[in-house]
Amino acid sequence: MPAARGQKRERWRPPRGRHRLPPEVIARSQRERLLEAAIRIVAEKGYAATTVADLTREAGISRTTFYAMFDDKEACFLAAYDNVAEALVRRISLAYEAEEGWPRRARAGLAALLEALAEEPAVARLALVDVGAAGPAAQRRYRAALQRLTPFFDEGRDFAPDGRNLPANTSRMAIGAVAGLISDELTEGRAEYLPKLLSEVLFATLVPYIGPAAAAREVGEKD
Amino acid sequence: MMKVLRSFQPTWDGLMASESRRDLILAAMIRVVGSKGYKETSVADVIEEAGTSRTTFYKHFEDKHECFLAAYEMLVEQVFAEVTSNCDGAESWLQRVENGLATIVKLFALDPELARTAVVEVAAAGAEARQLHWNAVARFTEYLEGGRELSDGRELPENISLMSAGAVSGLIFDELLAGRAAQLPALLPDLLFAMLVPYIGPRAAAEEMRRVAATT
Repeated sequence: MPAARGQKRERWRPPRGRHRLPPEVIARSQRERLLEAAIRIVAEKGYAATTVADLTREAGISRTTFYAMFDDKEACFLAAYDNVAEALVRRISLAYEAEEGWPRRARAGLAALLEALAEEPAVARLALVDVGAAGPAAQRRYRAALQRLTPFFDEGRDFAPDGRNLPANTSRMAIGAVAGLISDELTEGRAEYLPKLLSEVLFATLVPYIGPAAAAREVGEKD
Repeated sequence: MMKVLRSFQPTWDGLMASESRRDLILAAMIRVVGSKGYKETSVADVIEEAGTSRTTFYKHFEDKHECFLAAYEMLVEQVFAEVTSNCDGAESWLQRVENGLATIVKLFALDPELARTAVVEVAAAGAEARQLHWNAVARFTEYLEGGRELSDGRELPENISLMSAGAVSGLIFDELLAGRAAQLPALLPDLLFAMLVPYIGPRAAAEEMRRVAATT
Protein backbone atom coordinates (compact mmCIF):
# COMPACT_ATOMS: atom_id res chain seq x y z
CA MET A 1 0.00 0.00 0.00
CA PRO A 2 1.65 3.25 -1.05
CA ALA A 3 2.19 5.73 1.76
CA ALA A 4 0.95 9.27 1.22
CA ARG A 5 3.68 11.50 -0.08
CA GLY A 6 3.88 15.27 -0.08
CA GLN A 7 2.59 17.15 2.93
CA LYS A 8 1.55 20.43 1.35
CA ARG A 9 -2.09 20.60 2.40
CA GLU A 10 -3.45 20.14 5.89
CA ARG A 11 -6.31 17.98 4.61
CA TRP A 12 -7.01 14.72 6.40
CA ARG A 13 -5.24 11.73 5.01
CA PRO A 14 -4.73 8.21 6.26
CA PRO A 15 -1.96 7.74 8.83
CA ARG A 16 1.40 6.92 7.31
CA GLY A 17 2.99 3.50 7.49
CA ARG A 18 1.21 0.38 8.61
CA HIS A 19 -2.36 0.90 9.67
CA ARG A 20 -5.64 -0.88 9.75
CA LEU A 21 -7.78 1.21 7.47
CA PRO A 22 -9.44 -1.02 4.89
CA PRO A 23 -7.88 -0.65 1.43
CA GLU A 24 -11.09 0.70 -0.09
CA VAL A 25 -11.10 3.56 2.44
CA ILE A 26 -7.53 4.45 1.51
CA ALA A 27 -8.39 4.27 -2.18
CA ARG A 28 -11.43 6.48 -1.77
CA SER A 29 -9.50 9.09 0.14
CA GLN A 30 -6.76 9.09 -2.49
CA ARG A 31 -9.30 9.45 -5.22
CA GLU A 32 -11.06 12.34 -3.52
CA ARG A 33 -7.76 14.04 -2.85
CA LEU A 34 -6.79 13.63 -6.47
CA LEU A 35 -10.08 14.99 -7.78
CA GLU A 36 -9.86 18.05 -5.55
CA ALA A 37 -6.27 18.61 -6.58
CA ALA A 38 -7.18 18.28 -10.24
CA ILE A 39 -9.83 20.99 -10.11
CA ARG A 40 -7.59 23.31 -8.09
CA ILE A 41 -4.59 22.93 -10.38
CA VAL A 42 -6.47 23.13 -13.66
CA ALA A 43 -8.28 26.24 -12.38
CA GLU A 44 -4.88 27.73 -11.52
CA LYS A 45 -2.72 26.67 -14.46
CA GLY A 46 -5.21 25.97 -17.21
CA TYR A 47 -5.99 22.53 -18.61
CA ALA A 48 -3.33 22.44 -21.32
CA ALA A 49 -0.48 23.40 -18.98
CA THR A 50 -1.44 20.87 -16.31
CA THR A 51 0.48 17.58 -16.30
CA VAL A 52 -0.19 14.26 -14.61
CA ALA A 53 2.95 14.96 -12.55
CA ASP A 54 1.33 18.15 -11.24
CA LEU A 55 -1.71 16.17 -10.20
CA THR A 56 0.14 13.38 -8.42
CA ARG A 57 2.42 15.86 -6.61
CA GLU A 58 -0.48 17.98 -5.42
CA ALA A 59 -2.53 14.98 -4.36
CA GLY A 60 0.43 13.26 -2.73
CA ILE A 61 -0.01 10.01 -4.61
CA SER A 62 2.27 7.97 -6.80
CA ARG A 63 2.13 7.78 -10.57
CA THR A 64 1.24 4.11 -10.29
CA THR A 65 -1.71 4.94 -8.05
CA PHE A 66 -2.82 7.61 -10.52
CA TYR A 67 -2.82 5.24 -13.46
CA ALA A 68 -4.57 2.56 -11.43
CA MET A 69 -7.46 5.01 -11.09
CA PHE A 70 -7.45 6.87 -14.41
CA ASP A 71 -6.28 6.28 -17.96
CA ASP A 72 -5.03 9.82 -18.44
CA LYS A 73 -5.28 13.46 -17.46
CA GLU A 74 -8.55 13.92 -19.33
CA ALA A 75 -10.32 11.03 -17.59
CA CYS A 76 -9.19 12.40 -14.25
CA PHE A 77 -10.33 15.91 -15.10
CA LEU A 78 -13.75 14.70 -16.26
CA ALA A 79 -14.27 12.82 -12.99
CA ALA A 80 -13.16 15.91 -11.07
CA TYR A 81 -15.55 18.03 -13.09
CA ASP A 82 -18.47 15.71 -12.35
CA ASN A 83 -17.55 15.93 -8.68
CA VAL A 84 -17.81 19.71 -8.71
CA ALA A 85 -21.08 19.62 -10.64
CA GLU A 86 -22.45 17.08 -8.18
CA ALA A 87 -21.56 19.28 -5.21
CA LEU A 88 -23.14 22.35 -6.84
CA VAL A 89 -26.36 20.52 -7.70
CA ARG A 90 -26.57 19.19 -4.15
CA ARG A 91 -26.19 22.67 -2.72
CA ILE A 92 -28.80 24.12 -5.03
CA SER A 93 -31.14 21.25 -4.28
CA LEU A 94 -30.89 21.66 -0.49
CA ALA A 95 -31.69 25.36 -0.66
CA TYR A 96 -34.45 24.81 -3.21
CA GLU A 97 -36.19 22.05 -1.27
CA ALA A 98 -36.18 24.10 1.93
CA GLU A 99 -38.65 26.62 0.48
CA GLU A 100 -42.31 26.55 -0.50
CA GLY A 101 -43.71 27.85 -3.77
CA TRP A 102 -41.78 27.80 -7.02
CA PRO A 103 -40.58 31.42 -7.21
CA ARG A 104 -39.25 31.28 -3.64
CA ARG A 105 -37.68 27.90 -4.28
CA ALA A 106 -36.04 29.20 -7.43
CA ARG A 107 -34.75 32.25 -5.60
CA ALA A 108 -33.23 30.11 -2.84
CA GLY A 109 -31.64 27.67 -5.29
CA LEU A 110 -30.14 30.43 -7.41
CA ALA A 111 -28.84 32.28 -4.35
CA ALA A 112 -27.11 29.08 -3.23
CA LEU A 113 -25.57 28.63 -6.67
CA LEU A 114 -24.27 32.21 -6.84
CA GLU A 115 -22.81 32.01 -3.33
CA ALA A 116 -21.09 28.71 -4.06
CA LEU A 117 -19.55 30.13 -7.23
CA ALA A 118 -18.46 33.35 -5.52
CA GLU A 119 -16.68 31.37 -2.81
CA GLU A 120 -14.32 29.83 -5.35
CA PRO A 121 -13.84 32.19 -8.29
CA ALA A 122 -11.15 30.13 -10.02
CA VAL A 123 -13.20 26.95 -9.86
CA ALA A 124 -16.32 28.83 -10.96
CA ARG A 125 -14.53 30.19 -14.00
CA LEU A 126 -13.20 26.77 -14.87
CA ALA A 127 -16.59 25.12 -14.38
CA LEU A 128 -18.59 27.53 -16.54
CA VAL A 129 -16.25 29.43 -18.85
CA ASP A 130 -12.95 27.64 -19.44
CA VAL A 131 -14.24 24.07 -19.38
CA GLY A 132 -14.14 23.92 -23.19
CA ALA A 133 -10.35 24.09 -23.06
CA ALA A 134 -10.41 20.46 -21.99
CA GLY A 135 -12.10 19.39 -25.23
CA PRO A 136 -15.52 18.28 -26.47
CA ALA A 137 -15.95 15.56 -23.83
CA ALA A 138 -15.60 18.20 -21.11
CA GLN A 139 -18.06 20.44 -22.92
CA ARG A 140 -20.54 17.58 -22.94
CA ARG A 141 -20.09 17.22 -19.18
CA TYR A 142 -20.75 20.93 -18.81
CA ARG A 143 -23.99 20.76 -20.79
CA ALA A 144 -25.02 17.59 -18.95
CA ALA A 145 -24.40 19.31 -15.62
CA LEU A 146 -26.64 22.19 -16.69
CA GLN A 147 -29.34 19.76 -17.73
CA ARG A 148 -29.34 18.32 -14.22
CA LEU A 149 -30.92 21.61 -13.16
CA THR A 150 -33.92 20.96 -15.41
CA PRO A 151 -36.28 19.65 -12.69
CA PHE A 152 -35.87 22.87 -10.69
CA PHE A 153 -36.89 24.93 -13.69
CA ASP A 154 -39.57 22.61 -14.98
CA GLU A 155 -41.60 23.13 -11.86
CA GLY A 156 -42.29 26.56 -13.35
CA ARG A 157 -44.53 24.85 -15.87
CA ASP A 158 -47.12 24.06 -13.20
CA PHE A 159 -46.81 27.56 -11.84
CA ALA A 160 -47.18 29.25 -15.24
CA PRO A 161 -50.68 30.42 -16.19
CA ASP A 162 -50.26 28.86 -19.62
CA GLY A 163 -47.75 26.15 -18.86
CA ARG A 164 -49.05 23.58 -21.31
CA ASN A 165 -48.46 25.86 -24.29
CA LEU A 166 -44.82 26.50 -23.51
CA PRO A 167 -42.22 24.92 -25.80
CA ALA A 168 -40.70 21.67 -24.56
CA ASN A 169 -37.34 23.42 -24.46
CA THR A 170 -38.40 26.11 -21.98
CA SER A 171 -36.26 24.88 -19.11
CA ARG A 172 -33.21 24.67 -21.36
CA MET A 173 -33.81 28.26 -22.44
CA ALA A 174 -34.05 29.51 -18.88
CA ILE A 175 -30.93 27.57 -17.92
CA GLY A 176 -29.10 29.03 -20.93
CA ALA A 177 -30.13 32.54 -19.94
CA VAL A 178 -28.92 32.03 -16.36
CA ALA A 179 -25.65 30.47 -17.55
CA GLY A 180 -25.15 33.39 -19.95
CA LEU A 181 -25.53 35.97 -17.20
CA ILE A 182 -23.19 34.14 -14.86
CA SER A 183 -20.58 33.40 -17.55
CA ASP A 184 -20.52 37.05 -18.54
CA GLU A 185 -19.78 38.06 -14.96
CA LEU A 186 -17.08 35.38 -14.67
CA THR A 187 -15.51 36.35 -17.99
CA GLU A 188 -15.24 39.91 -16.69
CA GLY A 189 -13.44 38.57 -13.61
CA ARG A 190 -16.26 39.58 -11.28
CA ALA A 191 -16.95 36.29 -9.52
CA GLU A 192 -17.15 37.88 -6.09
CA TYR A 193 -20.05 40.06 -7.24
CA LEU A 194 -22.12 37.09 -8.37
CA PRO A 195 -24.47 37.16 -5.35
CA LYS A 196 -25.53 40.65 -6.48
CA LEU A 197 -26.73 39.12 -9.72
CA LEU A 198 -29.58 37.32 -7.94
CA SER A 199 -32.35 39.66 -9.17
CA GLU A 200 -31.28 39.24 -12.79
CA VAL A 201 -30.85 35.47 -12.73
CA LEU A 202 -34.16 35.11 -10.93
CA PHE A 203 -35.85 37.27 -13.56
CA ALA A 204 -34.24 35.16 -16.30
CA THR A 205 -35.52 31.98 -14.63
CA LEU A 206 -39.09 33.18 -14.14
CA VAL A 207 -39.65 35.18 -17.32
CA PRO A 208 -40.19 32.38 -19.87
CA TYR A 209 -42.87 30.93 -17.61
CA ILE A 210 -44.72 33.97 -16.28
CA GLY A 211 -43.63 36.91 -18.48
CA PRO A 212 -41.70 40.10 -17.68
CA ALA A 213 -44.35 41.89 -15.59
CA ALA A 214 -45.00 39.02 -13.21
CA ALA A 215 -41.30 38.12 -13.10
CA ALA A 216 -40.38 41.68 -12.12
CA ARG A 217 -43.03 41.57 -9.38
CA GLU A 218 -41.67 38.31 -7.98
CA VAL A 219 -38.12 39.63 -8.10
CA GLY A 220 -39.18 42.75 -6.19
CA GLU A 221 -41.00 40.73 -3.51
CA LYS A 222 -38.08 40.19 -1.20
CA ASP A 223 -35.50 42.74 -2.37
CA MET B 1 0.82 21.42 -53.66
CA MET B 2 0.81 24.57 -55.75
CA LYS B 3 -2.29 23.62 -57.67
CA VAL B 4 -4.16 26.79 -56.67
CA LEU B 5 -1.50 29.00 -58.16
CA ARG B 6 -1.55 27.44 -61.59
CA SER B 7 -4.44 29.56 -62.61
CA PHE B 8 -2.62 32.75 -61.71
CA GLN B 9 -0.29 34.60 -64.04
CA PRO B 10 3.27 34.57 -62.68
CA THR B 11 3.22 38.35 -62.37
CA TRP B 12 0.28 38.22 -59.97
CA ASP B 13 2.08 35.79 -57.79
CA GLY B 14 3.74 38.11 -55.32
CA LEU B 15 0.92 40.61 -54.87
CA MET B 16 -2.65 39.52 -55.18
CA ALA B 17 -2.01 35.83 -54.81
CA SER B 18 -0.32 36.35 -51.48
CA GLU B 19 -3.51 37.87 -50.06
CA SER B 20 -5.75 35.23 -51.57
CA ARG B 21 -3.48 32.42 -50.41
CA ARG B 22 -3.79 33.79 -46.90
CA ASP B 23 -7.57 33.65 -47.26
CA LEU B 24 -7.36 30.10 -48.57
CA ILE B 25 -5.42 29.11 -45.49
CA LEU B 26 -7.94 30.81 -43.19
CA ALA B 27 -10.87 29.08 -44.89
CA ALA B 28 -9.05 25.75 -44.68
CA MET B 29 -8.39 26.29 -40.98
CA ILE B 30 -12.10 26.81 -40.31
CA ARG B 31 -13.03 23.64 -42.23
CA VAL B 32 -10.37 21.40 -40.74
CA VAL B 33 -10.99 22.52 -37.16
CA GLY B 34 -14.72 22.03 -37.69
CA SER B 35 -14.24 18.44 -38.80
CA LYS B 36 -11.22 17.26 -36.77
CA GLY B 37 -11.39 19.44 -33.69
CA TYR B 38 -8.96 22.19 -32.74
CA LYS B 39 -6.60 20.06 -30.70
CA GLU B 40 -6.28 17.38 -33.37
CA THR B 41 -5.70 19.89 -36.16
CA SER B 42 -2.10 20.32 -37.32
CA VAL B 43 -0.51 22.88 -39.61
CA ALA B 44 0.09 20.01 -42.03
CA ASP B 45 -3.67 19.33 -42.19
CA VAL B 46 -4.41 22.97 -42.88
CA ILE B 47 -1.88 23.43 -45.70
CA GLU B 48 -2.99 20.19 -47.28
CA GLU B 49 -6.61 21.39 -47.24
CA ALA B 50 -5.59 24.83 -48.52
CA GLY B 51 -3.25 23.44 -51.18
CA THR B 52 -0.45 25.76 -50.12
CA SER B 53 3.08 25.17 -48.96
CA ARG B 54 4.42 25.15 -45.43
CA THR B 55 6.57 28.15 -46.36
CA THR B 56 3.50 30.10 -47.40
CA PHE B 57 1.79 29.25 -44.15
CA TYR B 58 4.68 30.44 -42.02
CA LYS B 59 5.08 33.56 -44.13
CA HIS B 60 1.63 34.62 -42.95
CA PHE B 61 1.34 33.07 -39.52
CA GLU B 62 3.55 32.40 -36.55
CA ASP B 63 1.76 29.14 -35.71
CA LYS B 64 -1.53 27.25 -35.72
CA HIS B 65 -2.94 29.36 -32.90
CA GLU B 66 -2.27 32.69 -34.57
CA CYS B 67 -3.76 31.38 -37.79
CA PHE B 68 -6.84 30.17 -35.95
CA LEU B 69 -7.41 33.56 -34.33
CA ALA B 70 -7.22 35.27 -37.73
CA ALA B 71 -9.54 32.64 -39.22
CA TYR B 72 -12.00 33.11 -36.41
CA GLU B 73 -12.08 36.87 -36.90
CA MET B 74 -12.74 36.35 -40.58
CA LEU B 75 -15.52 33.88 -39.79
CA VAL B 76 -17.23 36.34 -37.44
CA GLU B 77 -17.07 39.09 -40.06
CA GLN B 78 -18.55 36.79 -42.69
CA VAL B 79 -21.42 35.67 -40.49
CA PHE B 80 -22.05 39.28 -39.53
CA ALA B 81 -22.08 40.50 -43.09
CA GLU B 82 -24.57 37.78 -43.93
CA VAL B 83 -26.80 38.56 -40.95
CA THR B 84 -26.83 42.32 -41.41
CA SER B 85 -27.56 42.06 -45.13
CA ASN B 86 -30.67 40.04 -44.25
CA CYS B 87 -31.69 42.21 -41.30
CA ASP B 88 -31.21 45.74 -42.49
CA GLY B 89 -34.21 46.91 -44.39
CA ALA B 90 -36.70 44.89 -42.34
CA GLU B 91 -39.28 47.31 -41.04
CA SER B 92 -39.67 46.18 -37.44
CA TRP B 93 -37.33 45.02 -34.71
CA LEU B 94 -39.19 41.75 -34.53
CA GLN B 95 -38.74 41.12 -38.24
CA ARG B 96 -35.09 42.09 -38.01
CA VAL B 97 -34.21 39.67 -35.22
CA GLU B 98 -36.27 36.93 -36.80
CA ASN B 99 -34.40 37.38 -40.07
CA GLY B 100 -31.10 37.47 -38.26
CA LEU B 101 -31.81 34.28 -36.38
CA ALA B 102 -33.05 32.54 -39.52
CA THR B 103 -29.87 33.56 -41.33
CA ILE B 104 -27.57 32.14 -38.66
CA VAL B 105 -29.52 28.90 -38.44
CA LYS B 106 -29.48 28.44 -42.20
CA LEU B 107 -25.80 29.28 -42.45
CA PHE B 108 -24.93 26.79 -39.72
CA ALA B 109 -27.09 24.06 -41.27
CA LEU B 110 -25.47 24.55 -44.68
CA ASP B 111 -21.96 24.56 -43.25
CA PRO B 112 -21.79 22.34 -40.16
CA GLU B 113 -17.99 22.59 -40.04
CA LEU B 114 -18.10 26.36 -39.89
CA ALA B 115 -20.80 26.13 -37.22
CA ARG B 116 -18.80 23.72 -35.11
CA THR B 117 -15.70 25.88 -35.33
CA ALA B 118 -17.69 29.02 -34.56
CA VAL B 119 -19.54 27.73 -31.52
CA VAL B 120 -17.96 24.56 -30.13
CA GLU B 121 -14.29 24.23 -31.09
CA VAL B 122 -13.44 27.87 -30.38
CA ALA B 123 -13.56 26.98 -26.69
CA ALA B 124 -10.61 24.62 -27.13
CA ALA B 125 -8.41 27.27 -28.78
CA GLY B 126 -7.37 29.18 -25.70
CA ALA B 127 -8.44 32.23 -23.73
CA GLU B 128 -7.93 34.71 -26.56
CA ALA B 129 -10.15 32.70 -28.87
CA ARG B 130 -12.82 32.40 -26.21
CA GLN B 131 -12.68 36.16 -25.83
CA LEU B 132 -13.24 36.59 -29.58
CA HIS B 133 -16.23 34.28 -29.34
CA TRP B 134 -17.59 36.21 -26.40
CA ASN B 135 -17.14 39.52 -28.24
CA ALA B 136 -19.02 38.13 -31.21
CA VAL B 137 -21.93 37.04 -29.00
CA ALA B 138 -21.94 40.51 -27.44
CA ARG B 139 -22.14 42.05 -30.90
CA PHE B 140 -25.17 39.94 -31.77
CA THR B 141 -26.63 40.77 -28.39
CA GLU B 142 -26.58 44.48 -29.16
CA TYR B 143 -29.02 43.76 -31.94
CA LEU B 144 -31.52 42.62 -29.35
CA GLU B 145 -31.55 45.88 -27.45
CA GLY B 146 -34.33 47.21 -29.68
CA GLY B 147 -36.69 44.72 -28.02
CA ARG B 148 -37.17 47.13 -25.15
CA GLU B 149 -39.52 49.11 -27.37
CA LEU B 150 -41.97 46.22 -27.28
CA SER B 151 -42.29 46.17 -23.51
CA ASP B 152 -44.93 48.97 -23.18
CA GLY B 153 -42.62 51.15 -21.17
CA ARG B 154 -42.13 48.46 -18.53
CA GLU B 155 -38.80 48.58 -16.86
CA LEU B 156 -36.73 45.59 -17.91
CA PRO B 157 -33.47 44.40 -16.37
CA GLU B 158 -30.38 46.09 -17.72
CA ASN B 159 -28.85 42.92 -19.11
CA ILE B 160 -32.00 41.43 -20.58
CA SER B 161 -30.38 41.06 -24.01
CA LEU B 162 -27.77 38.82 -22.42
CA MET B 163 -30.55 36.54 -21.17
CA SER B 164 -31.93 36.26 -24.69
CA ALA B 165 -28.51 35.59 -26.14
CA GLY B 166 -27.69 33.02 -23.45
CA ALA B 167 -30.93 31.12 -24.03
CA VAL B 168 -30.50 31.09 -27.81
CA SER B 169 -26.82 30.21 -27.85
CA GLY B 170 -27.38 27.45 -25.29
CA LEU B 171 -29.90 25.74 -27.55
CA ILE B 172 -27.70 26.13 -30.63
CA PHE B 173 -24.66 24.89 -28.73
CA ASP B 174 -26.43 21.70 -27.65
CA GLU B 175 -27.52 20.91 -31.20
CA LEU B 176 -24.02 21.43 -32.60
CA LEU B 177 -22.36 19.50 -29.81
CA ALA B 178 -24.68 16.61 -30.63
CA GLY B 179 -23.75 16.88 -34.33
CA ARG B 180 -27.23 18.00 -35.33
CA ALA B 181 -26.40 21.14 -37.33
CA ALA B 182 -28.73 20.04 -40.12
CA GLN B 183 -31.67 20.03 -37.71
CA LEU B 184 -31.12 23.62 -36.60
CA PRO B 185 -33.67 25.20 -38.98
CA ALA B 186 -36.37 23.03 -37.40
CA LEU B 187 -35.48 24.63 -34.09
CA LEU B 188 -36.10 28.16 -35.38
CA PRO B 189 -39.54 28.56 -33.74
CA ASP B 190 -38.12 27.60 -30.34
CA LEU B 191 -35.13 29.86 -30.82
CA LEU B 192 -37.42 32.75 -31.63
CA PHE B 193 -39.47 32.06 -28.52
CA ALA B 194 -36.30 32.01 -26.41
CA MET B 195 -35.15 35.30 -27.86
CA LEU B 196 -38.46 37.14 -27.49
CA VAL B 197 -39.83 35.84 -24.24
CA PRO B 198 -37.93 38.12 -21.82
CA TYR B 199 -39.29 41.12 -23.70
CA ILE B 200 -42.87 40.16 -24.53
CA GLY B 201 -43.70 37.24 -22.23
CA PRO B 202 -44.65 33.62 -22.97
CA ARG B 203 -48.09 34.20 -24.48
CA ALA B 204 -46.99 36.66 -27.19
CA ALA B 205 -43.73 34.79 -27.77
CA ALA B 206 -45.63 31.52 -28.24
CA GLU B 207 -47.80 33.24 -30.84
CA GLU B 208 -44.70 34.28 -32.80
CA MET B 209 -43.37 30.77 -32.40
CA ARG B 210 -46.51 29.25 -33.91
CA ARG B 211 -46.54 31.81 -36.72
CA VAL B 212 -42.96 30.94 -37.71
CA ALA B 213 -43.60 27.22 -37.32
CA ALA B 214 -46.51 27.52 -39.72
CA THR B 215 -44.40 29.23 -42.40
CA THR B 216 -41.39 26.89 -42.24
